[in-house]
Formats: sequence, structure tokens, C-alpha cells
Amino acid sequence: MDNGQKFRSIVSTILQIPEHEITDDLSSETIDTWDSLNHINLIGAIEQEFGLTLDASTLSQFQSIFKLKAMLAEHGVSV
Amino acid sequence: MSHESGKQGSPQSAAQAEAEREAVHPDALFSEVDACPTLLNISRVTKRLAPQRDDLARVGLKVACVSSFTFDPLKPALELQGLRAGMGIHSYISPYGQYEQELINPSAGLADFRPDVVLVTIRLQDVCRPIYDEFNGMTEDDAKRVLDDWINRLSAALQTYRERASAYILMQNYDLPAVSATGITSRGQLYAQADAIEWANKQLARLAESIDNLYVMDYDGLVARMGRRRWSDPRTEFYARIPIANDHYWPLTGFYIRHLRPLYGLSKKAIVLDADNTLWGGVVGDAGPNGIELGNDFPGNAYVAFQKRILDLHHRGIILAIASKNEPGSVESVLQNHPDMVLRPEHFATTQINWNPKPDNLRQIAEDLNLGLDAFVFMDDSPVECEMMRTALPQVLTIPLPKDPAAYPDIIESLDCFDQWTISAEDRKRGELYKAEAGRREFQRQTVDLPTFYRHLEMQMTLFIDCVAHVARASQMTNRTNQFNMNTIRCSEDDIRKFMAATDHEVITLALRDRFGDNGVVGLAVVRRREEAWTLHLFLMSCRVLGRTVEQTVVRWIKKRAQRAGVKQLTAEFVPTSKNKPFAGFYRECGFNLAGPSSDIQRWECELEGAETDAPDWMAIDIGHPDRQTGT
Repeated sequence: MDNGQKFRSIVSTILQIPEHEITDDLSSETIDTWDSLNHINLIGAIEQEFGLTLDASTLSQFQSIFKLKAMLAEHGVSV
Repeated sequence: MSHESGKQGSPQSAAQAEAEREAVHPDALFSEVDACPTLLNISRVTKRLAPQRDDLARVGLKVACVSSFTFDPLKPALELQGLRAGMGIHSYISPYGQYEQELINPSAGLADFRPDVVLVTIRLQDVCRPIYDEFNGMTEDDAKRVLDDWINRLSAALQTYRERASAYILMQNYDLPAVSATGITSRGQLYAQADAIEWANKQLARLAESIDNLYVMDYDGLVARMGRRRWSDPRTEFYARIPIANDHYWPLTGFYIRHLRPLYGLSKKAIVLDADNTLWGGVVGDAGPNGIELGNDFPGNAYVAFQKRILDLHHRGIILAIASKNEPGSVESVLQNHPDMVLRPEHFATTQINWNPKPDNLRQIAEDLNLGLDAFVFMDDSPVECEMMRTALPQVLTIPLPKDPAAYPDIIESLDCFDQWTISAEDRKRGELYKAEAGRREFQRQTVDLPTFYRHLEMQMTLFIDCVAHVARASQMTNRTNQFNMNTIRCSEDDIRKFMAATDHEVITLALRDRFGDNGVVGLAVVRRREEAWTLHLFLMSCRVLGRTVEQTVVRWIKKRAQRAGVKQLTAEFVPTSKNKPFAGFYRECGFNLAGPSSDIQRWECELEGAETDAPDWMAIDIGHPDRQTGT
């Protein structure tokens, strides 16, 4: 599984949506399943799958697919 | 297998994604999560098993979590670990921080939920923070007062809840900090932080003694095993009050489920082992009994250590058997004669050494021992045999052994499916009991007709009424017995004590001896005595003694007591389950008539006038005295 597939698999599994619905615009504002609990799960799963450790102060950021991708790119992970 | 294995290896590989498209057995999926217990794997496997959920869940359970931290993220792992153990868990999480209100308030969400089990997951860090953060600034009196206050509040909340509800309460104890507040200063020199926390843990143990159906789980032991230093994640603790690092959700929830298994009859009872490359290295048929690897040096010493762990399980009451593809003589010869064998013929209740498919052999073993297939664990080094077993008998927990024998002993240690809350005298000799059972079956094959067989058994039954020494065993039987059990009502020791104390109930336990040995305490009846009728409230028999007229004899004996008390009728229920089929038909055989609905709960009645109440001639009966019981 390449990084892009892995990323889509995480988002689709945690937010319980089909992969084709994952767009850069998708955010905690646009979908109900992206609540505070699933945000923690999403960040936790991304950390586990890509081997990252984010600062506590940044955990509440990245509330959209666009922001998550940018964060991963900063860590050298292209999805 | 292990619910406590930590995170190992890399995240999901392409190979696993490939495997995803094929049919995979639940055990294989669970092993994948064991190997890599990430949030993604937990969600992924939950989703894959959703269609099989009803088949895997043998017991439906409502589990409430009363927690001092944010428990919600653990919920998916808890439900999946439950499914692995055969529980269909419907869970409720109390609102954050409201652990006391939830327990106390009769109109709280907890009360509405009406749980079967309440998990009390309160961390001392959350309720007595100064003990962890400011210990050196406290005097011994301060510390004791803080702890004493908390224990009193907790005790009051739990007692209030207990007065209102009978759910099992499973409460975790308190973990020591990774690093002591007093640095390297040795304990004993001063009142140490560890002393304070251990004192609190002793108080929890005392609560378990004074509050019915409350059990304490050794959370501190789990955290120590997993590594205190990395157990918590300060980021999620500060940010979201989730103190447990997410790598540990899987082992932690496995730990909770492990404590539930024995309460719902879901613990395993027997292990069936392969021989070659399992009990010893090499193939005895090729290398001969003297050529196998077993002894003081590697790899022989790893097999010796493995055998010792298995023997220790046997001494805890786990039944052992062998299923090996070999010439019968070769394996027997190693068992009997090899100087470095730890396991000997007397430790195995039965063996199947032949060239038949192993699932057939396992079925035969289950039949010989009169146990359900889901009571078995199967271990083999061959992936092919394991795959075949998983396909043919998915109820059996199949554990493929790793390539390296050095890893074998740990596998036994990490098995968490054999637990019981108490270990009774019966457990310590259960292996012998089943061995004797195999002897009786052989004897039965040789004898001509059943009465002759029964007479040759020279059975001696001893019946006890309200025998306090049998409380633990009686409770254990209600939790373990699934086959010959009229309603599968599980009882705690406190429940049994209450029946014994009640003037209108009596608890009858029975022990059985025969020419092959002492079977110990093998049956239980709880009788409710009313003037118009006596009722069997509980009736069960260890499947080990079925088919020897023991169960019929006990019913006749109860009828005789009821007749003498001037009672006209004996009534009983039957609640069919997928497992108690051996019970169906039993009442009719004993002269009962079906009086109630024939669906979920059947009601059976027997008029006592003219009823057969004498024991069969082959069964000697005496009444036991509590101070000289057998079998305990």
C-alpha cells in the first residue's frame, strides 16, 4: 500500500466514509463523523501508521484533509 | 492469543492488504491486531467481522464503564476484544468525571442502561492527584487523610450502587508511578509513595470482600508488565484527558475482557498439543526416541521449559491431550521413557496418535472428554495443520507456534483464556479426573449392558446440604457448566451463600467416588421450598459424570425429601441454549410433564404421589457432613 492509499484507508475507516468521498475540502465542519473524538482517533491513527509524533499544541489543528496533507508533507510524507 | 502483546513491527503492509481480499478466519485477524495493535487495525478488523458478529458472540453483554478519564476512544477495542472472547458487547460510557454521581444517582445514565457488568476504571492519579504530583510536600498524615477520604467516598458510592443493582462490578486497582517521587531513597527509610498507593490497593481488596460481586483487577500488574514509562501519553492526557497511550488500547481492553471470561463460562478448559516440533524438537518417527531435541541444551531446553509451563497449567486444572500424526508406539515411548520429558502419560487425559486429519481427532477428543469444542485450544507448529483446524473447527482457538522454540514458553504465559476467579481443589486434580473418565469409557466399551457397567463402577454418591466449604466450587460450577445445565444461571460465591442462608432454599452439592477414583464435587441443585411445591431453581452436573444415572438419582432423592415434607409437586424450568442440548429430554425421563410454553423458558412439573424415589441398586448414597466432606 503506498502512502496515498494508506492515508485514504485511515480517513475512510475512522470517519466511516467511502474513499471516493475524500476530497481536500472535507473537514470537521463538513462531515458529522469528524467530531472531537474521531479527530483524536484520526490524528492517533496517522501518527501510528506514518510513525510520527506531533506536539500536543498542534493536535487540535489539521481539521481538514487539506491541512492533514500539508502536515504530512512537512514531515516528508507525500500522500 | 496474547491480548497484551505490545506494538511490534511496521504498520500494514501490502501483503496484508492482499490478504484482506481473501476469506480470513477471525483468529487470524485477531492475531494481526496482536502483532500490530493500531487504531486502524482495530477499526479495520471490526469492520471485517461485522457480518460474523452474531456467530461469534455467544453471550450478549451490556458493559458500562465508569471512568475517571476519557474512556470513549477505548470503546472499539473493548468491543472487539469482547467479540474475540465470545461476547457481543453493547457498551455505555459514563459522562467524563461523573464516576461518583453515576454510581450514586438512581436516575443517572448508568442506572438507565441496566448493565450486566460495570467496569470501574478510576485512576488514583485522577482522584488523589497530590499523591503523584506533590508527594514530598505532604506529611504522612496528609497523604493518609487524602487517601482515606477517597476510599470512603468510593466505598459509599459502590455500596449505594450495589443496593440498587446486582451487576458485576470489576474495578481496577491503582498503579505506581514510573519513577518514585523520592528518587533513589530506599523504601523503609520513610513513608514512601509506594506505601501510600499500596495501602489504597489493600483497601480496594477489602471492598471486594465486603461488597457482593465486586472484583478487583490488577491494573498495576498490567502497567508494570507493559512498561510504566511508556504506558501513558502526556500529550493526549493533557489535551484530551486520555492518559493511556493509544498503542496500549488493545492490551488494556484485552485485560478487562480477560476478567469477564470466567464470569460468563467463556474460559477455555483444555489444550490439545501436537507432538513433533511442539513438545520436542525433531520428528520422532525419523530421528527415533533418542534423536529428538529435548534436554539441558538449546534447543532441547526450550522444549523442556515449554513443557513445564504446560504442566503448570495442568496443575491449575487445564486438561491436556495430544493429537499427533505418528505411529502410536513412538509417541507413547517418548512420553514414558525419555529421561527429559516433563509431561508424562498420566498428565494427558487422552491422546489421538494416528494418521487421521487432526480436526477429526480433536472431535474425538472432545467426545471422549465430554467437552464442547469451544472449550479447546489447539497448538501446532505446522501452519498447514493450524489452517485446517481453523477451517474445519472455527470454535477451537488455534494457536500456531512460531518458528523459534525459544519463543514457545512465553506463548503459554501470555494465554489469557484459561482464567477462573478461584482455583478449587477440583482444579488441582482435574487432569486425573478426566484421565479416570477416559478409563471408564474404555471399561464401558468392554462391558455388556449398562446396568452391569453401572454395578461394576461401584459408585458412591455423597450429598451435602448447605455445605459452606463448597461455596467456591458451587459458584465455579455455575460459571463453567454449559451442557448439563437447566438454565445456565451464573452465580457468584455471594449468591450461593445467600441461597444457603435463606430458610426457604437449600443448596445441594454432590460428590461422587467410584472404583476409578474420586470425582470430587460434580453436581449442584438449588431447591426452593414452598408448601405447595418445591422448585428446582438451579440444577447442573459436570459433564464428566453424565451417563451414569447420577443426575436421575439426585432428582429421585430430592423427590423423596419433598414427599417426606408433605409436598405434592416438584417443578422445574428448562431454558434451552445452543449448548445445553444434553439437558433436553432429561425431565421427561425423570417423570416430569411439560406444563409451560415450549419456547424460551419451559416449565416442567412432576406429581410426587407414587413417584419413583428409590436410588438405583448400583448407586450407594450417603449424606455428607460439612466437617468431613469429600472432594474439597
